[in-house]
Amino acid sequence: MHLPLSEMYNEPDDRNVLDRMRQGVIGQPLDRPEGALKVSGQATYAAEWRIDGCVEGVLVLAEIAQGQVTAIDRDAALARDGVLAVIADPAMTRRSAQGMAAKAPQQDAAKVEYFGQPVALVVARTFEQARDAAVALRVDYADAAEPVPFDPHAPDVKVEAPSSSKPVEGGDLDQAMRDAAFSVDVEYDTPGHASAAMEPHATIAQWQGDSLILHGSYQMLAYNVKEIADCLGISPDKVRIIAPYVGGGFGSKLGITHEAVAAALAARELGRPVRVVMSRQQVFQTVMRRSETRQRVRLAADAGGRLIGLGHEALVSNLPGEKFAEPVTQATEFLYGGENRLLKVEVARISRLTAGSVRAPGEAVGMQVLEAAMDELAEKIGIDPIELRKRNLPATVPVQGTPYSSRMLTQALEQGAQAFGWSARQDRPCQTRDGDWWVGMGVASAARVNMMVPAQARVTLRADGSALVETDQTDIGTGSYAILGQIAGEMLGLPMARVDVKLGDSALPPGAGSGGSFGAISTGSAVLYACEEIRKRLAKILGCAAEELVLKDGTASHGDAAPRPLRDVLGGEDLTTTGKIKPGKTAKAFSQASYGAFFAEVGVHAFTGEVRVRRMTGVFGFGRVLNAKTARSQCLGGMVWGIGSALTEELAFDTRDGHLVNHDLAEYHVPVHADVPAIEVILLEERDAAASPLQAKGVGELGICGAAGAIANAVYNACGVRVRSFPLTLDKIVPSLPDPFAQTL
Amino acid sequence: MALRFVCDGELVALDSVAPGDTVLDFLRARPGRTGTKEGCGEGDCGACTVLVGTPVAGEERLVWRAVNACIQFLPMLHGKAVLTVNGLGDQLTPLQQTMACNGASQCGFCTPGFVMSLHGRAIGAVGADLPVGDVLAGNLCRCTGYGPLLEAGERHPALPHDDRATLDLLRQAATAGPACGHATLPGGSTARWFIPDNADALATLLAQYPGARIVAGATDVGLWVTKKLVDLDTVIFVGDVPELNALAESPDGLTIGGAVRYADAHAALSRLSPELGELVRRIGGLQVRNAGTIGGNIANGSPIGDGPPALIALGATLTLRSARGRRTMPLEDFFLAYGKQDRASDEFVECLFVPRPQGPDIVHMSKLSKRFDSDISAVCGAFWLRVEQGTITAARVAFGGMAATPRRAAQTEAALIGAPFDEATMAAAAAAIRADFAPLSDVRGSAAYRLEAAGNLVWRLWHQAQGQAVRVQEVVHG
Repeated sequence: MHLPLSEMYNEPDDRNVLDRMRQGVIGQPLDRPEGALKVSGQATYAAEWRIDGCVEGVLVLAEIAQGQVTAIDRDAALARDGVLAVIADPAMTRRSAQGMAAKAPQQDAAKVEYFGQPVALVVARTFEQARDAAVALRVDYADAAEPVPFDPHAPDVKVEAPSSSKPVEGGDLDQAMRDAAFSVDVEYDTPGHASAAMEPHATIAQWQGDSLILHGSYQMLAYNVKEIADCLGISPDKVRIIAPYVGGGFGSKLGITHEAVAAALAARELGRPVRVVMSRQQVFQTVMRRSETRQRVRLAADAGGRLIGLGHEALVSNLPGEKFAEPVTQATEFLYGGENRLLKVEVARISRLTAGSVRAPGEAVGMQVLEAAMDELAEKIGIDPIELRKRNLPATVPVQGTPYSSRMLTQALEQGAQAFGWSARQDRPCQTRDGDWWVGMGVASAARVNMMVPAQARVTLRADGSALVETDQTDIGTGSYAILGQIAGEMLGLPMARVDVKLGDSALPPGAGSGGSFGAISTGSAVLYACEEIRKRLAKILGCAAEELVLKDGTASHGDAAPRPLRDVLGGEDLTTTGKIKPGKTAKAFSQASYGAFFAEVGVHAFTGEVRVRRMTGVFGFGRVLNAKTARSQCLGGMVWGIGSALTEELAFDTRDGHLVNHDLAEYHVPVHADVPAIEVILLEERDAAASPLQAKGVGELGICGAAGAIANAVYNACGVRVRSFPLTLDKIVPSLPDPFAQTL
Repeated sequence: MALRFVCDGELVALDSVAPGDTVLDFLRARPGRTGTKEGCGEGDCGACTVLVGTPVAGEERLVWRAVNACIQFLPMLHGKAVLTVNGLGDQLTPLQQTMACNGASQCGFCTPGFVMSLHGRAIGAVGADLPVGDVLAGNLCRCTGYGPLLEAGERHPALPHDDRATLDLLRQAATAGPACGHATLPGGSTARWFIPDNADALATLLAQYPGARIVAGATDVGLWVTKKLVDLDTVIFVGDVPELNALAESPDGLTIGGAVRYADAHAALSRLSPELGELVRRIGGLQVRNAGTIGGNIANGSPIGDGPPALIALGATLTLRSARGRRTMPLEDFFLAYGKQDRASDEFVECLFVPRPQGPDIVHMSKLSKRFDSDISAVCGAFWLRVEQGTITAARVAFGGMAATPRRAAQTEAALIGAPFDEATMAAAAAAIRADFAPLSDVRGSAAYRLEAAGNLVWRLWHQAQGQAVRVQEVVHG
């Protein structure tokens, strides 16, 4: 039987089509096809396109936090050598677009809402001239009449329920806490984070008549086109974005931001191409932050260590009116049992740059706190933290009753424990010394929701027997070029050298974009559907059923017939089709998530409180592995984000004037390689038909979701200090360290 | 006269160059050759790493160094060669081949910087003898998790390399002797630069332009331009003045010229004191140590530099020179107050003398920072103790990050000198640090933490002396 290929993904596709193919490339750890361009400096990033007549723009940032621009001394700037324009157009953005907004973010940059907000753009013939004039530009301001606080914990801060999520309530949590044999009621803080993608945001804007071409650095082109068009008041079909290579995004390039709109406005005013490259400091100050959070976790367990109640409440922050609220409790909804529950997020309205998606919004900070609290509960009960987790995996999602599509959490915990050597862990802190270091181990679960979004991809089986995959899907380092080619190669029976993949151009069919770990499964499913259609057409040519068709190494066969080269079968014709997929009923019918487990061993210096991660193991189950190498890279890189979140990364805002203190890579500490120990990544075999017709789930963010919790738990196991404020810097650990001269306690 | 250097195998001559023009801006303006990336513009991330080759007098070779192009000024290339990722040839090197395939490149933006750091190691650049990890300490990556990058470096330790063609081009350029140039800045003023070819000429220039900015490695002044957006008007580049590059080891100690780069002195400093060598390993990444000079690290007067406390503890003396003469002082006396040093506007750092610790001496140095590499210390502590027959007969203790200047801890030293080298004395010394300092609270650490941790460094010294300490550096890569 052949199911009709529905655009809406309404039923789990358990045909496992990819497993029945013969090429043997899917899942293989193949090289990324664009690797050679990247190592030789030939991959062209946004700022690097050579466009004749292009002039340079530099953004001018506000030197106050809240108020109104009252005057800009254009004349003085224009009198300077080389200066062509000072743009202070009402269409300029003052906030960044949220992921998948598909419409303009807040505009009118003359209203200043946070320190460092862009207020103008200076354009000159050379970058140096523009920068010089931008520094000298005189901007006058009037202070805001009713400023909002800089500090989310200020007494006068306005706290609201977000419009983007509803609380989950069930039973009576207070009563459960009273009834509990063991309980934990703790408050944790996590700081703001920056994506800190290596490529700073950049745009070259060029008008051709009333059409705009942008060379930019963005993650989701189909949405970005609409955002730009809405900002400029033009039709989306007049905007084309080209972004074949993107130097990392991690959420910061989901929506358009200031430089793109400013460049487009300047290019229109001057009638010539304009390039705007943000400095690293400007990126930090203006683009996007992950909100800091204050989280209260309540866990109530019965005498047998089973959760009877679970509370997870978070205070996050954003600018007034901004819809996004860090969805801290997203994974808490489905991860553990406890029917009596209260999960809630509230948002404080403050004056800091836009808060939005930074890699794994929600789980990145929610899981690390939940998993640290679970460690506290395990200690109170006196059972192994792995056992506590295994005892509390519900049969269906609490309160909602939704079944799980597939959940590899137990396997991940067990296999990880084995690989890591968990049995050597001491169940009490301060039992292991290595010289002047306390040593300990910690564990945490990993969980990240799986999402599918609408996606399209065009596949052409060319007359010469090679294939071309085309979509506006971006590759921000994740491996889109590799895995989309592999899906097509597997389905059409072609070695990778015979498959070309063209990405990152909004003129191509709209893929999912890179975000929410959904790019691979959504756009990949569109490629799969297109290939299935091509297989049908080939079967028709050959006079067989599509199920009987065998495609391998550029040949087609069926039954006992001898394999024929595709070139012969095609008879000079290209076969082209566009595959489309949209989320359907499976999205609501099943709780879909990727799962895993983290294990960490740390050393804590007995005298100074320095923390060194000594080794880590991560085990992950996210459905079918599309490419074992790029998937492993995602997990490995994610776990390093976990190290950053646990130990070093923290946006520091001055609560007196609202300015971001550490707006550069010198002071915002992404981990260096010396902070990264031996990391082992184990990928589990799984098929999840509810998630996608590929039986694959998202993996791009999973490696962070809980990792910092494992490190915090290991710190406690090492030295007995429970720090409930991330990152666990030395100054927070030192005051509570035990007697450093004791060899064990 | 024009500025002349070799870039990716081609001779470049530029007429109008300002002292603050950066190498990176020059490189990225070349059509189709934008492989060198700007990730931060301040020497933190290494995405702009290039190799700079300096001819060696009397030899047919260049000394190559990996540096951050974003904070190198263009005049500093005069008479040298620069090699970028775009100049590695049409065929991938074996190293690039590995990196393209093993997961060492994901988004690709940091990749050219890693390629050039590892290429430098493969062709025997300064620091090639260091472990791969040390060579990559100044390169940040946000995607890969670093493991594949280190693995690629391990796999490709050496690559044949021939400098003859580059040397021929440099000879054509005829760049021997002093150099100077100027350009008009965007604001309309004229900025000039000078490269003196000996110390006497430097002294004369400073007498003539007493307000001139002295730039050696530009790892600090580079940020003034790219981050503070300061216009440099008159600059004297001293990095290649031969006398200031002298390094002389003797049984008594080490004499370090004012423009000796950290990387060039690293081996000699390690021989002088292995503890100092370990500390230097964590001063910036290799790119920063390849440019930054010990003299510059002193002359800029930063309260948080890691070099000065270590050198003060070892008893270093500083010699300043001008056309008027020389004067020598204990290093600690050079630091008068925050941002104020005992240097007249016509003086330059000629050299530094660091006494060699003797047999019974105990040296301990600790850098406490959140991040292992490329981070500014919350506290940097340095101890030198002379222990004879169980008694501490002399001691010098200095800290960075604890006061407005690098400073000695007088009361701590008093608690140590004349006391037995035992736990009671350590306890007294640890307590005395609280009387020596009143540090600030900032993003790197609270005042309370700084005091607590500084005192505890005494105990780290004690453990080290008992052979019980485990080095912070002992982490293993997979």
